[in-house]
Amino acid sequence: MSFSLAHALTGLFWLGALLLLGGLARRASLWQQGHSASVSWLGLLAMPKRYFVDIHHVVAREPAVARAHVAAAGGGVAILLLSALNYGLMLYQGWLDVLLVLMAAVMLLGARMMQARRLQAPPRLSQGRWQVLPARLRLFALGSLLAAGLLFAGPQMGMAGQLIAVAALLMLALGGAELALGIGLGWPMKHAVAGLLHLAFHPRAERFAGKSSDLKPLNLAAGELGVAKVEDFAWNRLLSFDACVQCGKCEAACPAYAAGQPLNPKKLIQDMVAAQSRGTDPAYAGNPHPGREAAVVVKPGEDIVGSVLAAETLWSCTTCRACVENCPMLIEHVDTVVNLRRHVTLSRGEVPGKGSEALANLRNTDTVGGYPLAVRYHWAIDLDLPVLQPGDQTEWLLLAGEGAFDMRYQRALRALVKVLKAAGVKVAVLGAAERDCGDVARRLGDEAGFQRLAKANIATLAQYRFDRIVTPDPHVFHCLANEYPAFGGQFEVWHHSKLLEHLLARRAIPLKADATPLPPLTFHDPCYLGRYNDGFNAPRNVLKGIGIKVVDMQRSGRDARCCGWGGGAAFTDIPGQRRIPDMRMDDIRETGTGRVAVACPNCTAMLEGVVGERADVIELAELVAERLA
Amino acid sequence: MRYPHLFAPITLNKLTLRNRVVSTAHAEVYAEPGGLPGDRYIRYYEEKAKGGLGLAICGGSSPVSIDSPQSWWKSVNLATDAIIDPLARLAEAMHRHGAKIMIQATHMGRRSSYYGEHWPHLVSPSGIREPVHRGNAKVIEQHEIRRIIADFAQAARRVKAAGMDGIEISAAHQHLIDQFWSPRTNFRTDEWGGSFENRLRFGVEVLNAVRAEVGPDFCVGLRMCGDEFHEDGLSHDMLKDIAAAMSETGLIDYLSVVGSGADTHNTLANCMPPMALPPEPFVHLAAGIKSVSKVPVMHAQSIRDPVQAERILASGMVDMVGMTRAHIADPHLVIKIRDGKEDQIRQCVGANYCIDRQYHGQDVLCIQNAATSREATMPHDIAKADKLRKVVVVGAGPAGLEAARVARERGHEVVLFEKQPQVGGQIVLAAKAPQREQMAGIVRWLDMETQRLGVDRRLGVAADKAMILAEKPDIVVLATGGIPYTSQVPDWGVEEGVAVSSWDILSGKVEPGKNVLVYDAVSTQAGFGVADFLSSRGSTVEIVTPDVKVGDDTGGTTFPIFYRRLYAQGIIPTPNFWLDKVYAEGDKKIAVLRNEYTEALEERAVDQVVIENGILPNDSLYWDMKELSKNQGQTDVHTLFASQPQPSLSQPLAAGEFLLFRVGDCISMHNIHGAIYDALRLVKDF
Repeated sequence: MSFSLAHALTGLFWLGALLLLGGLARRASLWQQGHSASVSWLGLLAMPKRYFVDIHHVVAREPAVARAHVAAAGGGVAILLLSALNYGLMLYQGWLDVLLVLMAAVMLLGARMMQARRLQAPPRLSQGRWQVLPARLRLFALGSLLAAGLLFAGPQMGMAGQLIAVAALLMLALGGAELALGIGLGWPMKHAVAGLLHLAFHPRAERFAGKSSDLKPLNLAAGELGVAKVEDFAWNRLLSFDACVQCGKCEAACPAYAAGQPLNPKKLIQDMVAAQSRGTDPAYAGNPHPGREAAVVVKPGEDIVGSVLAAETLWSCTTCRACVENCPMLIEHVDTVVNLRRHVTLSRGEVPGKGSEALANLRNTDTVGGYPLAVRYHWAIDLDLPVLQPGDQTEWLLLAGEGAFDMRYQRALRALVKVLKAAGVKVAVLGAAERDCGDVARRLGDEAGFQRLAKANIATLAQYRFDRIVTPDPHVFHCLANEYPAFGGQFEVWHHSKLLEHLLARRAIPLKADATPLPPLTFHDPCYLGRYNDGFNAPRNVLKGIGIKVVDMQRSGRDARCCGWGGGAAFTDIPGQRRIPDMRMDDIRETGTGRVAVACPNCTAMLEGVVGERADVIELAELVAERLA
Repeated sequence: MRYPHLFAPITLNKLTLRNRVVSTAHAEVYAEPGGLPGDRYIRYYEEKAKGGLGLAICGGSSPVSIDSPQSWWKSVNLATDAIIDPLARLAEAMHRHGAKIMIQATHMGRRSSYYGEHWPHLVSPSGIREPVHRGNAKVIEQHEIRRIIADFAQAARRVKAAGMDGIEISAAHQHLIDQFWSPRTNFRTDEWGGSFENRLRFGVEVLNAVRAEVGPDFCVGLRMCGDEFHEDGLSHDMLKDIAAAMSETGLIDYLSVVGSGADTHNTLANCMPPMALPPEPFVHLAAGIKSVSKVPVMHAQSIRDPVQAERILASGMVDMVGMTRAHIADPHLVIKIRDGKEDQIRQCVGANYCIDRQYHGQDVLCIQNAATSREATMPHDIAKADKLRKVVVVGAGPAGLEAARVARERGHEVVLFEKQPQVGGQIVLAAKAPQREQMAGIVRWLDMETQRLGVDRRLGVAADKAMILAEKPDIVVLATGGIPYTSQVPDWGVEEGVAVSSWDILSGKVEPGKNVLVYDAVSTQAGFGVADFLSSRGSTVEIVTPDVKVGDDTGGTTFPIFYRRLYAQGIIPTPNFWLDKVYAEGDKKIAVLRNEYTEALEERAVDQVVIENGILPNDSLYWDMKELSKNQGQTDVHTLFASQPQPSLSQPLAAGEFLLFRVGDCISMHNIHGAIYDALRLVKDF
């Protein structure tokens, strides 16, 4: 009996392995629809570190789930490895059976925890096959436990033993099918295989070496115009979609989804899966894009946008990276959104709302709002800021950005200049030579417009000598610091929060001596400073440095909710149930401080645009200026 | 971008202004003896610089020569080197806040009064008397012309030496330069009169001398009229020719244009257009000048709100907007526009309290902003108090509203009782008079501010002692105003209903009669207002006053507006008569009038007699509460007049104790400025 059980297990193991390989081959053929990408096979070696360190950073934010996954997945992987040795290679060692029983017990526990969580599943979790997966994993674990136990116990179990052995084999077959067939048929356990390969061949592999949030240039000369169809994605991008576990953490973090705009980032990724699998995968069983049907009809050969994906979904994204930040599978949603937008913008010219006007303004005036460049520094006319002429030199070059055209934000700019002057910082501006940084153009998919502006600005900046650039606009900061290097622009760029922090730390800013306690306030993290550039501490240190206590919102730091401006969303203005800045104002209200500090011209505008009773919106530099001696 | 034109810098010669908003030259009547700007003068302008304006041109009509008198209206005196240091202090103060500062220089010629100071013989091209100032003058001689041209250059030297940003030469309002221009005043046949070129010669030589003194880079402007509105005066076309010629000289960096001549009472009233005139009534004249000018054009006349200013600039009519009275009402105007706080601008309503005082030789004050020109003692921005109190204000007229506003700005908890369903007090009635509707703007701001600041306003509630005490106040401010003082002469028969008060008519309580006699014993805006109100509704009106003329206590830019309407509508003016008695006879009312100078009696048989005799303080609540209050309702005038906190404020209050003060008409009849000043100077220290 034991002899036959052992051999049955061997057979089952190799059957499963074959099915898995076959399924993988089928899946790989789907990924092969995509174009080639330069990947390093060394990524396979880096996989364990990426799995145990990078993924763990994300998963560990939910400790109970992390523990359950460690138990279930760790137990499962151990069972597979031990089974491979013991049954696959037919070693049939009793001590391996004991280890198997132990690992199966661990997996059983993990699967049990997952099943318990499924009883009160948060709405972000997909249902369908995902809902029954823990039970199948329990079957597999139980089957393993029973089979290994029987083998270790030997043949003396008799009839009961035979019955248990048959049951165990059935359980193993049923449970193991999740993995063996999952990859080929697009079942949940697909994630285990695709996820691991995704780690190895990640389209943004540099994120494992440090922060990486820049958009990648299109090779316009080579005719790249973004993604229209599945085959316009790189193959490893298609692979990345298959890594999705439909946990919905992106959905829970997405400001557009919360506002009832027709974007659910989880669904967006699943739409891409549906597109590449041509609808052969099981039906999606999660929340739809708000206000839309969950079902999609895939018409092979058609453009993704307009068939699988509605344009409104694409344009609802604020590129805030809350989804990316929260994705345990390290999927890069924003890259995909922008890649799809590039096609819609560059090939079709179908930018909705005021987006096309903004792009036309940029083409015609080099400003988003259609202003003459000469008026950008009108607010500074009485501040005696030196305007650099070609060949001039300065320590700090201030780039005011588009906010310089907004009268409200000019107040913040004046405050900043006042503080810098009080601190003895030598700062100059470009005057009419400053063009838009290209952020809006790039996020709206106008890669050509962005590249034109980036190259023009780089050429302009080359005419002056300066030590560093400082800007209060996180979008300018991000573009120059992270996206201009691809075009040969290497500048040391500081967001003003960092400079203010630096000056305060050196006690270079003369502050009022009086110790009147200042009322506390809350701080709204700008996405392009925070999540994009890890600039979480500098603004808080500035506030601390001037004696203001920060009462953080529930969603702050990495989890901060976007103001709704980014990615050109303020221009495309896709309707939803609510406005994102209104929700953010609710977050602010919850702190009870009645005041919010901001560090971005666009957050300033969005939050001040909230109608009705609202908190006071004060720019960081204004708060420092108020404290000047 | 909001207000893109308003906030576009402009460069005049080498002088760059941060925006297009200018406080144009006006007589301040603040200079210290000798015609020197002192602390008050400098603070007045510095407040505007803090408030964000681009350029202030101070010293309206500052004389360059000692035979152009300055002392009787406390003007700045550019005829002495002693002016350099004070102007330097002024320039430094303005530059500290990023604003630019220029000064207007002139010789007034005949446009002055000869008596006082040096008793000069005034000079004019042809010695024609100036009617408004009774400016008798001699024919100016060649050597005097040469001296005055040299005086202009010396004045310019002083202005430049002080570090000022430029000098504006006045050829407006019939000063000496435009006395040479105008066919109304220049009948000379020598090289200074006759041909176009000859009439321009004096002005051009002045500018040549000034330019020679200050060099090519110093900003020099010229202010001129756009149309004298006199048959025998300078027409718009003539002035366009002059403007073209002057800009052609290359000597000036901008032209500032005003509408209307100023040498008669009626034209003078146009110069600072009162509320009766439409917004920017003369901007078309400036636009006409701009069409021929090679230099930027500035214009000021009733540009009072930011949207209006932006519209005028955007339409290209002018390059700079003068918002001069607008800055007197709110020196922080520009910053409020810039910061999106337009609703918080205390907007000029064109009541012309400022300029009407100036024409009486009194310092310029604002009817609604008591802090203006009192910056040393009165705050434009009210600081928070250290100790917070409960303040109850009774009465929401100007005094009560200001008291509530200031107390709330100080951070106190403020309850404001008003028995009427709306705020405004007597101003509500004042705004009922035809062409006086904008008086309501004074209330509108106080109304909006008290709401914005969160004053607990109880409208339609006639507060009594019990209600006030129930609020457990620390301080009670009574601003209960007055009631029509018709009881002064019982024979008027108001008690019996034979005559009615002006309030009865303006409030609509009493329908206008067909044939009405208005008796105005005080000659303020109120009496004529009610006469105009009646006349505009079809009544036949005679207005009787014991004063020397109807509307005698209204100023030089106000009474002409009344008189235009008086004659146009056939209102009969009867000055120099007292009203002794009114009695009913049949369905008529008989008014018995007595001539002030002959004692002769006259009678009028009319349908209605309306009495305007000012107000009697409404002080019953005061007498109810005086004894209960810790300070016995007393205001210490020594500290009040010294702008110091009331001594009673520093004494601790036991439970149930409170301080009681009064402001405005409930003490005795004052005007709107008086009411608001009463409130500000008292409550700023609460």
